[in-house]
Amino acid sequence: MGLLDYDFMQRALLASLMVGLVAPAVGVFLVQRRLSLLGDGLGHVALTGVAVGVLTATSPVWTALVAAVAGAVLIELVRARGRTSGDVALAVLFYGGIAGGVVLLSLAPRGQATNLDSYLFGAITTTSPQDVAVFAGISVVVLLSVALLGQRLYAVSDDEEYARAVGLPVLGLNVVLAALVASTVVLSMRVVGLLLISALMILPSAIAQLLARSFRETVLLACLIGVLVSVSGTATSFYTGTPSGGTIVLLAIALFLLVTSVVALRESTARRRHRRRVDVHDAHPHEHGAACGHPPVPHGDHVDYDHDGHLHAPHRTGRGVHYDEHGEHPVAAPPNR
Amino acid sequence: MSTQIPAIRLRGATIGYGDVPIVRDVDLTIAAGEAVAVLGSNGSGKTTLSRGLLGLATVLDGEVQVLGAPVGRLRERGRVGYVPQRHSISGAVPATVREVAGVGRLARLGLFRPLGAADRRAVVDAVAAVGLADRLDDPVAALSGGQQRRVLVARALAAEPELLIMDEPTAGVDAASQEALAGTLAAISARGTTLVVVTHESAPLAGVLTRAVVVDHGRVAYDGPLSGAGHHDEHLHHHPPEREPAGYRLDQPTVTPGPRAAADRER
Repeated sequence: MGLLDYDFMQRALLASLMVGLVAPAVGVFLVQRRLSLLGDGLGHVALTGVAVGVLTATSPVWTALVAAVAGAVLIELVRARGRTSGDVALAVLFYGGIAGGVVLLSLAPRGQATNLDSYLFGAITTTSPQDVAVFAGISVVVLLSVALLGQRLYAVSDDEEYARAVGLPVLGLNVVLAALVASTVVLSMRVVGLLLISALMILPSAIAQLLARSFRETVLLACLIGVLVSVSGTATSFYTGTPSGGTIVLLAIALFLLVTSVVALRESTARRRHRRRVDVHDAHPHEHGAACGHPPVPHGDHVDYDHDGHLHAPHRTGRGVHYDEHGEHPVAAPPNR
Repeated sequence: MSTQIPAIRLRGATIGYGDVPIVRDVDLTIAAGEAVAVLGSNGSGKTTLSRGLLGLATVLDGEVQVLGAPVGRLRERGRVGYVPQRHSISGAVPATVREVAGVGRLARLGLFRPLGAADRRAVVDAVAAVGLADRLDDPVAALSGGQQRRVLVARALAAEPELLIMDEPTAGVDAASQEALAGTLAAISARGTTLVVVTHESAPLAGVLTRAVVVDHGRVAYDGPLSGAGHHDEHLHHHPPEREPAGYRLDQPTVTPGPRAAADRER
C-alpha cells in the first residue's frame, strides 16, 4: 500500500507542497525585516477566526483568513503610529487572539468536531478537497504578489527610511507583506498547525542564508528547501504515525544543524588548506587600491601590490578581503626600509 | 539643468519631529548645480534640515520646496537622491552590490514596473562610478565599511538624480575610500547634479564643495563660500579663535577627535 493510494494522502501531499513553497517565499522578507515572529503572532490571531468559524458553522479556513488579515493590518497600523508601546499592543493582540480562540471553541455545542489540537498542531489528513482548492487560490495570490512586488518588499524590509525617502509607499507595502503573512498562516494551518507556522517561514530562509550569496538566490533556495522538508516530512509522518507539523519542523531543524556544521567545517578546512599553501597576511591595515600608494604589479591573471618589497595579492572571500603573499618583488625594497 | 527653478528653496522654514521644532525659521536657496556643504556640530540641526528636504522630518512652518515642488509632492521622486548615514548595510539576508544599488533605481519605476535593460545599465554605471565595478556580484557583507558606504552612494546614483543629498558620507571612512568618493562627487557635480552634503568635516570634500551653510542651534549661522566658513566651523569645534588665524585650512584635514567621536555616536 503506497503513499499515493489514499485520497487523503494525495491531498495532504499537495497541501504540504504548496505550504513548503509559499511559506519561505514570504518568510525571507520577515527575516530581512527582523520580524521573524510576526507569523507566530498572526497564528494566534487566526485561532480566534477558527473558533468563530466553528461557532457559526462556516468554514474555519475562511474565518481564520479574515481574522488573520485583519490582525495583520491592525498590527501594521499600530507599528506605523509608532512610539506609543507598539510592543504592548502587539502582545495584547496576540494573546487576545489565542485566549479568544480557546474560550470561543469551548462554547461550541457538543457533537461538533472541535479538536483544538488539530488547529494548534496541524491535522493534515483532514484536509478536504475544498481546503485544497482554497489553498491553491491562496498560493497563487501570494506567489504572484511576491513575484510582482518582491523588489519593493525587499527595499522596504531592508531600509524602511530610505524607501520612504525615495517615495515608495512604505505603509502600503508593509500592509501587503503582513497580509501575505496572514494568508500564509491560514494556508499552513492544516499542515503544520498554528503554533508551528513560523518555523516553516523562518527555518528554510535561515538555511538558505548560509549558502546563498544574493537575496534572489536566498529566496529561491529557501523555497526549494521548504518544499523538500514539507513534502518529505509529510511522507515520513505517514509511515511513522507522527503528527505532520512536528515532523516537518524537526526535519527542518535537523537540516539547519547539518548545514550549519557543514558550512563551518568547510570554511575552517578551506582556511587551513589555504594557509598551508600560501602565506596569508591577516589583519592587513588597509585595502590596496589605486590610491593606497603601493604600486600595482601585474602577476599572471591578477594584480599584486608591491608593499615594501612584498607582493600582496588580494584574495576575496565571503568574509572580506585578505592578502596572500605572492613572494618578494624582484626589485628589492629600498635599503633603509 | 537649465531651469530657473532653484534646487532647494526654504522660506521661513521650521522643521522638526512630531511638534518639536529643531530647525527654526530658515531662509535658504540653493541653485541648480551648486555643491553645498551643510556644516555644524553635533545636535546643531543639520541632519534635521536635510531630513526635512526628504520628507523624513516634518515641516512645521514656512515653506520648503525641492526641485520646484513642496516637499513630498514631487512626482518623480527619482530626481532626488539620498545617501543616509549608515555604517553598515549588510542585513540579515545576503544581498549583492547589484541588488542593493538596484533598490535606488526603483524610485524611477513607480510601484509595479520591473527593472528594464536601461535600468540595469544605470545600476551597473552607478556602481562603476563609485569604483566598485569588479564587486558587482559580491555580497555586500564582504566589503569594507568604506566600500559599503560607496555602495550607498551608488544606490542613490542609480536613479540618476538631479539633486543628491548625503548625510556624513565621509565619517569613519578610510582615506582611500574618501578619495574615491571625492572623485565620484566631482564627476557628478561636473555633470550638473546639485550636491548637498551634510557633514561635520568638510575637509575630505573641500575640492568639490564650494559653498557652506553652517547650522548652529537650529539656525543658519553662516552662508557663503566654503573658505569663509572657517571661523564659524572652528567656533563650533570649540577651538580658541586665535589658533587658526586666517580662515579655513582647505589643505589640511582638521583633526578634532572630540566632536568627531561624538558625531559617530550620533543617531
